[in-house]
Amino acid sequence: MTGLSASIEIADLRKVFRQTTSGQSVVAIDQLTLRIEPRELVAIVGQTGCGKSTLFDLLIGLEHPTAGSITIGKKTPYDDFNAFRGKIATIFQQDRLFPWRSALDNVKLPLELIGIAEDIRHERAMTWLKRLGLEKFANAYPRELSGGMRQRVAIARAFAVQPEILLADESFSALDEVTANELRKTFVELAREFNSTAILITHQLEEAMGVGDRIIVFGKSAALLADIRMSDWDRANYPQLREAIQNTLQANAPDPRLRK
Amino acid sequence: MPPDEVRSATPFEEPRRSLMMSGLPRETIISIVLFAVVWQVMSYLAPSLGIPAFAIPGLGRIAQSLSKITPLDVAITLGRVLLALVVSFAIGLLVAVLMYLSDSVEKYLRPMVRILMAVPVVSWILFAVLWFKGVEFRIVFVLVVVCAPVFTVDALDNMREVSRDLKQMIRSFRPTPLQFFHKLMLPAITPGLITSWKITLSLAIRVVTIAELVGAVTGIGHQLSVAQELFSVADVFAWTLVLVVLLFILEALLMQLETRVLRWRA
Repeated sequence: MTGLSASIEIADLRKVFRQTTSGQSVVAIDQLTLRIEPRELVAIVGQTGCGKSTLFDLLIGLEHPTAGSITIGKKTPYDDFNAFRGKIATIFQQDRLFPWRSALDNVKLPLELIGIAEDIRHERAMTWLKRLGLEKFANAYPRELSGGMRQRVAIARAFAVQPEILLADESFSALDEVTANELRKTFVELAREFNSTAILITHQLEEAMGVGDRIIVFGKSAALLADIRMSDWDRANYPQLREAIQNTLQANAPDPRLRK
Repeated sequence: MPPDEVRSATPFEEPRRSLMMSGLPRETIISIVLFAVVWQVMSYLAPSLGIPAFAIPGLGRIAQSLSKITPLDVAITLGRVLLALVVSFAIGLLVAVLMYLSDSVEKYLRPMVRILMAVPVVSWILFAVLWFKGVEFRIVFVLVVVCAPVFTVDALDNMREVSRDLKQMIRSFRPTPLQFFHKLMLPAITPGLITSWKITLSLAIRVVTIAELVGAVTGIGHQLSVAQELFSVADVFAWTLVLVVLLFILEALLMQLETRVLRWRA
């Protein structure tokens, strides 16, 4: 299908919403062109309402673009929706666990959807729970777990299908700083270990810099303000980079220091 | 690693009360006993107040009637109610799913469902008598036509209230339409469906009695009709008591099922 060598090609992407109350059009994404290479760990950072989450919905395939396209290995996630079954996994801001399922059964869910046999999915789900330090809580219901534990179950659920593409939307921003840092680290380790292409959408610059190999800065209507490869910057210059990205976000225009 | 805590259950959780006699609170038992005493006193005073003695029979006479209750009639009524509820639930849920899936279907069916719900039970009984020959079919028809719309409306409302976040989450994993309903919608609406069963159960018990009054030769409704022809208030009282107890038992069973099925809730 998509193959691990498939890149994500976003070409002249445009998404316009019509507000039901006023009837006015809102341009969420305007002419976005972007290429994400396989196995890249990309953090997309932008202010609230800049079109990040709309891009997330388009990448999942839950929305259709108004114009332009997203292609992954000659297929689009929205028109060829079922072709990506088991290939794309998501981690949302809230854990979005099924409250009627135990932690173990929540991790099993995507495996059930792709038709993995019960004995294999049980073993695989347990392996993931162990990996995330939750083996003792396999039979606990979400209400019995803390926010950090629930988010870890959500991470286990996403990785259980061994996805080629992993999409995370503000996945750690609702957690306390200590837990968030720990889960970010786990997220990066797992994405690298399983050679997944990972896209983390966030409004937190620190998070973007902590996770991404590449940071994409969005302005209004997902205008591409900066595309930064972290390998181009020495760690010693990170404070300047941080300041430059902050300036870019505030001015909604690229900081000159980012044109390198 | 931060020390995550497992949330403890609410420490002052109120124990679930069974509706069975053993679990009845003291206040309920006192009020029942009080009612029985007042009834007995009224039965004793009735002749002196100019009320015919048969109108308020004593507890002894009612106990006599209770001893003559025929279990077969109770079983027949229970069977009719359960059969009709299962059929109503299947039809109601199917129609709700169709309405949920298609706005056009919903626009056409919603007025029909509302109309069905507005028609009085007595009218349905008269229609059933005029339209159908078989007594059993008449009774089940009346029960289904009264109960199915309730299931439809409740199931549809519950489906609409399923969290958008959960829908988005499962859709991101690309389920088949059947998986979408089986893995998300059905478990999500189960609490609402159980509530709907509780409401419809008491509705069905009341409706079946009226339906059995017309034409049936078996069942509690028929026995009530016989008691009325014989001017036996004791028999009416006894059969009514059986109906009420039957309803309480069924509700208690439903509550047990609810506790079991919804153990994931706090």
